[in-house]
Amino acid sequence: MSALAAAAPTPTPPPGGGPVIPNFGGGACPSHTTFCWNWVTQNWGPELGPRLAEHVYITLIAVGIGLVISLAAAMYAYQRGWFERGFIALSTLLYTIPAVAFFLFFVPITGLSLTTIEIGLVGYTFLLLFRNALTGLRSVPPEVTAAAAGVGMTPRQVFFRINVPLAVPSIMAGLRIATVTTISLATIAAYITPLGLGEPIFTALHTVFTTELIAAGVLAILLALVADGLLVLAQRAVTPWARARLRGAR
Amino acid sequence: MSHGTHARNLGSRSPGYWRRISATASLAALALAVAACGSSGSSSSSSSSASAPAGTSSASSGAATGLPAGTPGKGKPTITIGDKNFSEENLIGDLYQQALQAKGYTVVLKANVGASEVIDSAFQSGQINLYPEYTGEILAAVAHQTGRSASAQQAWQLAKAFEEQNRDATLLAETPFQDTDVVIVKPAFAAKYHLQSIGDLINVGPAGKGVTWAAQPPDRTRFAGLVGLQQAYGLTAVAFDGVDVGLTYNALDSGAVNSADAFSTDGQLSTGKYVALQDPKHIMGFQHIAPVVKKSLLASEGPAFAQTLNWVDSLLTQQAILQMNAAIQLRHIDPAVVAKQFLAANGLTS
Amino acid sequence: MGFWNQVGHFYADHSQLLLHEVGSQVLLSLAAVAAAVVIALPVGVLTGHLHRWSFVAISGGNALRALPTLAIIAVGIGVYGLGFVNIWVAMIILAVPLILTNTYTAVDGVNPALVEAARGMGMNAWQIIWRVELPNSVPLIMAGIRTATVYVIATAYLAAFAGSPGTLGDIIGNEGSYTLAGVMAAAIVAVVLAFLAELLLGLAQGMMTPRGLRLTADGVPGRAYRRAFRLNFE
Repeated sequence: MSALAAAAPTPTPPPGGGPVIPNFGGGACPSHTTFCWNWVTQNWGPELGPRLAEHVYITLIAVGIGLVISLAAAMYAYQRGWFERGFIALSTLLYTIPAVAFFLFFVPITGLSLTTIEIGLVGYTFLLLFRNALTGLRSVPPEVTAAAAGVGMTPRQVFFRINVPLAVPSIMAGLRIATVTTISLATIAAYITPLGLGEPIFTALHTVFTTELIAAGVLAILLALVADGLLVLAQRAVTPWARARLRGAR
Repeated sequence: MSHGTHARNLGSRSPGYWRRISATASLAALALAVAACGSSGSSSSSSSSASAPAGTSSASSGAATGLPAGTPGKGKPTITIGDKNFSEENLIGDLYQQALQAKGYTVVLKANVGASEVIDSAFQSGQINLYPEYTGEILAAVAHQTGRSASAQQAWQLAKAFEEQNRDATLLAETPFQDTDVVIVKPAFAAKYHLQSIGDLINVGPAGKGVTWAAQPPDRTRFAGLVGLQQAYGLTAVAFDGVDVGLTYNALDSGAVNSADAFSTDGQLSTGKYVALQDPKHIMGFQHIAPVVKKSLLASEGPAFAQTLNWVDSLLTQQAILQMNAAIQLRHIDPAVVAKQFLAANGLTS
Repeated sequence: MGFWNQVGHFYADHSQLLLHEVGSQVLLSLAAVAAAVVIALPVGVLTGHLHRWSFVAISGGNALRALPTLAIIAVGIGVYGLGFVNIWVAMIILAVPLILTNTYTAVDGVNPALVEAARGMGMNAWQIIWRVELPNSVPLIMAGIRTATVYVIATAYLAAFAGSPGTLGDIIGNEGSYTLAGVMAAAIVAVVLAFLAELLLGLAQGMMTPRGLRLTADGVPGRAYRRAFRLNFE
């Protein structure tokens, strides 16, 4: 770009030797404007676009793994009758661990990498989805299971043909919350290692570079809203019968 | 490099001329020295003891500060550089990476690793094998030594000794610049009370009464902070205002305080809006940057590796860093771009 | 010095700082939740009472809940700068959805027979709201406020990144000055604080709920309820 142009007419070095300090130019933005579109267009390719893609990638992995683990765990817990009470309180408590500290403590174990972030994010996702899945599985009214048994279904059939489908609304609701929460936590995870949309936010915080803050912030917000919207559509597609019940159900 | 050479030769004795002469002379001297010492890989001792720690220009420090020619790094093992999570460190990380890559080395840069403790533990666990660190910071935050160094040289020696004994690593030559805390005031305030050094704050009032100082809350109990002001300069009546690190300039600008804590290489200090007071008693310690590098890496990369790093570090004078920080912090230019322009202007070739 | 030793020393050396920060964090959280209640409660009650515009409560609440807190802080710095207002607004946005959705669901779900009876007795809308719908909605509304408060207390440390010093975030976000041991110490305090808030508010909620409506933390109907209606849960 203008690297050569900036370096070419070299200023005279200071008397007594010393390095040549080129003119670095004025930068993309006039100083102290709140938002400078010029910077955004210049940095979309090198910075903002890749960060957005990273963020999507991080979220998909965390939610995907979290979903699989929590479904398996919920089925297991349901069949064993564990966690009748109190798990909600426990999971709420674990949720209150400050995310920054949570991520920071995995660093000595798994290093400064995507793995550390994913462990933290999967943990948070699991807490949420497990609870929702278990509540969903348990939401079957006893009359229905009694009727199914009366028709001649084995417990296993009852589980897979009745409990599981009726758990889907709860799981989908949980998935929606888990996804947007993961997107939010992933921005904080950038404190640990520079990945995702949190990285430009933390970088810009040092010098209070409002253009970068606004750009990255708005991208994260849009990503969360789009994800939420897509999951609403998915929720409606998967559970048409639950729509009528949404208002009163817990 | 050829473009630049032709452009500069159009005048007589162009700015880069003496620089190239001295670089060539240093290279020749180095070649002789290496030949004399034998070709073993003990470059760690020869380069670190030969290169002077602080304040000397590249030309006079002799061996190991000229830029090696060609690409001696080809085929050597990968270097993993880490840098801390603020722009000055990002800049130095980029400078190291670009210089080493130009010399053919394979470099991976892990940016924004974290603060001193975190990057040190990454260094210990082998996730990185080279990182730039401030000598005083090594002593305070990594070695947890509470004593104060009498000189920059001593700080460097002690830090180097620590790394050699505890981290299987060593320190290469340090930069001319240092980045310590500094007490800043507005020019009008400095003129009114004839302030040149921290001790002159006595002029404002007995024991510094009437002086309000904005700094990060931890500085209240630090010697490189309020405690040093009180004990070393006798400013026991200074009022302390604990603010977030990003807000010290705001506090001074708004007039809420009449002095603030800043860093001596902040881009804002190049604007002329602030006066940095001198610290003759060195309460703020010594904070030159030096590359912390694993001994095994040094051995396996060959002498040109340390030489390249020393060349980069020798260029980093207070003015150079100040101007680069101003470009990054005030004009929001990417550190990698600034690094590239700086290295190119100073003759980085491959 | 071992790590946990360091953590213990940190508590000893910085107990006053930690207490001060806990206090600031609690005050900030209460200010945010209070504002959220002022915003969300009327909207939830009205939409629930009218049984209309549920999308305001449900969809609006969901949209707000989706917003990443750090992004709100970041955009806020550009719009209204660093400082208390920034973190306050971010925490309000965090708290409103929970309170709004719960309030709407509660008021909307009050037994229609009760409302009918009240109307038949000649009560006007405000009387119905105040004397019938709200008392019956207390458990769910309180649960919402309680969860919102706990979440806000747990997230208020982000004030450190919003340029509002005084919370535990000053330590948690400043590992360079306070060391990893300090961060751990402050994080533990934050968790204990949230836990205590959960406990205290749970007690308060229990005290405010009419006996017959008492629900457990899970939302699974309590023993009294089950006995009254002879339901059998596995």
